[in-house]
Amino acid sequence: MAELTGVIGIGQTKYAAKRDELSMPGLLREAAERALEDAELTWKDIDAVVIGKAPDMFEGVMMPELFLVDAIGGAYKPMLRVHTAGSVGGSTAIVAASLVQSGVHDRVLTVAFEKQSESNATWALSIALPFSVATVAGAGGYFAPLVRGYIRRSGAPEDTGIRVAVKDREHALKNPLAHLHLEDISFEKVANSPMLWDPIRYLETCPSSDGACAMIFANEKLADRSDKPVAWVHATEMKSEPTMFSGRDQVMPRAILDNAKSLYKKAGIQNPREEIDCAEIYVPFSWFEPMWMEGMLFAPTNEGWKMTYEGATKLGGDLPVNCSGGVLSSNPIGASGMIRFAEAALQVRGMAGEHQVEGAKKALGHAYGGGSQYFSTCIVCSEKP
Amino acid sequence: MSQGTDASLTAPHTLSYTYKRSLGPLLGRFFTGLRDRQILGAKRADGSVLMPPKEYDPDTSAALDELVPVGPGGVVKSWAWVSAPRKQQPLDRAFAYALVQLDGADTAFLHVVDAGEESAMQTGMRVTARWSDEATGQITDLTFIPEA
Repeated sequence: MAELTGVIGIGQTKYAAKRDELSMPGLLREAAERALEDAELTWKDIDAVVIGKAPDMFEGVMMPELFLVDAIGGAYKPMLRVHTAGSVGGSTAIVAASLVQSGVHDRVLTVAFEKQSESNATWALSIALPFSVATVAGAGGYFAPLVRGYIRRSGAPEDTGIRVAVKDREHALKNPLAHLHLEDISFEKVANSPMLWDPIRYLETCPSSDGACAMIFANEKLADRSDKPVAWVHATEMKSEPTMFSGRDQVMPRAILDNAKSLYKKAGIQNPREEIDCAEIYVPFSWFEPMWMEGMLFAPTNEGWKMTYEGATKLGGDLPVNCSGGVLSSNPIGASGMIRFAEAALQVRGMAGEHQVEGAKKALGHAYGGGSQYFSTCIVCSEKP
Repeated sequence: MSQGTDASLTAPHTLSYTYKRSLGPLLGRFFTGLRDRQILGAKRADGSVLMPPKEYDPDTSAALDELVPVGPGGVVKSWAWVSAPRKQQPLDRAFAYALVQLDGADTAFLHVVDAGEESAMQTGMRVTARWSDEATGQITDLTFIPEA
């Protein structure tokens, strides 16, 4: 790539079930303003904006980017909209980074969001079409059989998911922006919560959140001027595959394995578990932590659950995962992928506050979407490559 | 073209859902104003007034928070006559869609003029707001009529 690119500003809203004191533009504004403040810039310093969100049906506004652009300083500037289902926050950040890496722009603001309180995502994902079976199951119903498949293959103990759910909610208590702050979270509490889609219990699922996340990418020359630490982009990768095809491994899709191999090759990483200090992984249902530990090659096949079980993925473990509380604690769908990238960047900038991994230098951001078919990832580092 | 004789199947598919809109502080005040039969525009840093109001200045991106009364009279900047309104349109009789610049505002906004006859419409004419009997805080609480 031509231009070395760094993250110089990050802004996030407070995540909550309802941010109905704000309009949709107001929600994006809150994140974008915080990113500008972090970068010590004004709207005039931004060359282009990139907006991402999940399906338009979630809020019922077609192409909402057209009316949102004024709120984030984008008037008269180049603007792009990205949509790749649940992975969109990650791919939106990658598109923004690529506009700088390619030399097209010097400094780009990107914002991803969802205002789930304006509708009902489970409804929007469960439309009953004529001549088709109406499952009305939402994402949980879609993913539960894949989790069952993983448990059968790996022989993972049945309580692995419960442990992930407790761990991520404990992490969330250290993140003031997280939607869920469950002070009394415990193994028993998760285990005794209602079974929604066997084997996924209520407390093993993500909440429905309103929220937005913003990042500012700059080229090396401008990023070097920053008074604050910069998260340098060492590599980004996007891989996808169709929802259905004969012989598809839906439990461990080829797209994530290819994504991981290609990402690490670009970033010069030989041994991800040793070289990466922490990771923000898209885990909307607890069991996807062990699954994606394998998908991102942190653990050998069928052994991802051991990392959870041994506490490797807790703050203080050898590969802390989702120190922010993850998607299990805040899920403004379209923003959730970008939050993973932004939190990875905050860690290597040493700006993650109470959920900071001490001495983190290299971090992974990961997002997935659709029927486990779109994958967006990045490696950010406190040092230039 | 002949109708096929094969057993091609079709079925109706009606998709609908009730959405919610959160207006935010500025547009919330604007629509509350309509309920009180008052039209409010947003004042920008240079003193000019946007009607309809916007939360963020379209030129400078600054957040706008000062609302000032505009209208109820204004000037038609341009218009189009709707001679045979459809069911979904705002009036059940012929009317004009018009860009109306209200007194005190620096921008025009699209609304309805109940002028009776096309010949009563003219660019530059003065119109004034007519409120529905029961204002509910919606833009349709308003209709414009030629100023007497």
